[in-house]
Amino acid sequence: MNHGDFELLSAYLDGQLSPSDSAKLEARLSSDSTLRTALDNLRATRNLLRQLPARSAPRNFTLTPQMAGIQPPTPRLVPIYRLASGFATILFIITLVINGLTTLSAPALATAPAPAAFGAAAPLSAAQEAAPAATQAPAATQAPALPAGAQTPPPAPRMMFASPLTTGTPISLGGGLMPGTTGTPTPEGIAKSVPPGVESVRRINTAENGLPFPLVLEVLFGILALGFGIMAWILPRSNESSFRKKWNRK
Amino acid sequence: MIVMDEPALIQSAQRGDLNAFNTLVLHYQDALFNTALRILGDDDLAADATQDAFLSAFKNLNSYRGGSFKAWLHRTVTNTCYDELRRKKRRPTTPLEPDTEVGDEMDSPRWLTDPHLTPEQQLEADELEHAIQHCLEALPVEFRAVVVLADLQGLDYTEVAAALRAPLGTVKSRLARARARLQECLQGFAELLPAAFRLNEERS
Repeated sequence: MNHGDFELLSAYLDGQLSPSDSAKLEARLSSDSTLRTALDNLRATRNLLRQLPARSAPRNFTLTPQMAGIQPPTPRLVPIYRLASGFATILFIITLVINGLTTLSAPALATAPAPAAFGAAAPLSAAQEAAPAATQAPAATQAPALPAGAQTPPPAPRMMFASPLTTGTPISLGGGLMPGTTGTPTPEGIAKSVPPGVESVRRINTAENGLPFPLVLEVLFGILALGFGIMAWILPRSNESSFRKKWNRK
Repeated sequence: MIVMDEPALIQSAQRGDLNAFNTLVLHYQDALFNTALRILGDDDLAADATQDAFLSAFKNLNSYRGGSFKAWLHRTVTNTCYDELRRKKRRPTTPLEPDTEVGDEMDSPRWLTDPHLTPEQQLEADELEHAIQHCLEALPVEFRAVVVLADLQGLDYTEVAAALRAPLGTVKSRLARARARLQECLQGFAELLPAAFRLNEERS
C-alpha cells in the first residue's frame, strides 16, 4: 500500500476528508478488501494510542513569584528616600568642596598681617567707619583708598557689610573711581587703614563664619545621605520578605 | 473538570496575575506533562520540560492572541522538549537502570497502578505502555510530536498545526506516516497487544 492511500485512510479516520473524497474512498473500500484491512489496522493502532493511560503530573507545576520573576510592589516611600538621599549626597559634596577650598586658602590667611587676629568687633567697626567716611569724604580722598585695597576680592565682602548703609555709598564709590583712574597719588593714612579692615572682613567670612558652618552642614548632609540611603535599601527588602511570607501562607 | 472561565483567567494572567495563571497551570499540567513524557520518554526530563514550558508560557503570555489555548500551551511544551532533546544529543547520558533486551527500561512507577486491574492485567498494561513508548521513541521527533498531540492528546488537525507551526498538509502527512510506522513497530510486540489488535494482524 502506498503512502498516498495511507494518508487518505488516516485523514478519513479523523473525518478530515472532504465529502467527495470520502465518498470516493468509501467506494474503493467496498470493493478492495486489502484497503479495508489496512483501515481496520490503522483504526486499531489509533485506538491503542488513544487508550494509552494518561499519567497525572508527578507534582504541581504552579509558579512561585520568584520563578515568575515577579517583584513585590515597591513601597511608595522608597523613591522619595532615594531622591532625598541623592539630594543630600549632592549637598554633602558641595559642602565638602567648599570646606576643602576654605581649608586650602587657610595658609594664605595665616600669612595675613597681625590685625587679622583681632577678632570681629574692632575690624568690623573699622570697616563701618571706612564706609561712612566714603559717603562723607570728598570724592578725591575716598577714591585712592579703593584702588589700594581693591586687588579684587575686597569689594564684594565690603559691599556686603556696606549694604545696610545709605544708597549714597555706591554713588560716592562711582564718583570716587574716576579720580582714581586719573592717577591721583594715594594718601598714606587711608590706604593703610582700609586694607586691615578689608582683611578682617574676609576673615569673618572664612574663619569665623565660613569654616564651622560648612563643617556642620557637611556632617549633617553626610548623615542624611547615609540615613535616607539605608532606608531606601532596607524598606524594599523588608517589604519583599513580608510579601514572600504572605505568598507562602496562601 | 473544574468549571473555569478560561478567557477571563488568560486575560488576568496576561496582566500579570500569577494566581490566575496558576489556575490554568493546574488545569493543563496533566496534559502538558503527558505530552512531554511521551516525547521525551523520561519522567524527570518530562517534569523539567513541563515546568520550563509553564514558565516560558507565563513570560510570553502576551504573544498568545486567541485561538486554542491548549494548542498554544502545547507549542511551548513541544519547544522545551525539542530543546531538551537537542541538549541530550549534545551530552549523551547512559541510563543507570539496566535495559531489557528490547532496549527499554522496565521500571514502572508505582502511581501507575490501577486498583481495578489484576496483577497480570496490570503487568500487561505496563508492558503495553512500554511497548508503545518504545515505538514512539523510535520515530523521528517531528513525527512523534504530531502523533502525540493528535492521538494521545486528542488535538484536532488545526490545533496540531498551530502547536507545531506546520501547515495542515504537513500535519496530515506526518500523522499518516507516524501511524504507519507505529503500526509496523507494534506488530513486533504482538503478544502484548489486546486481542482486537491481534485479530486484525492475523487478518492482514
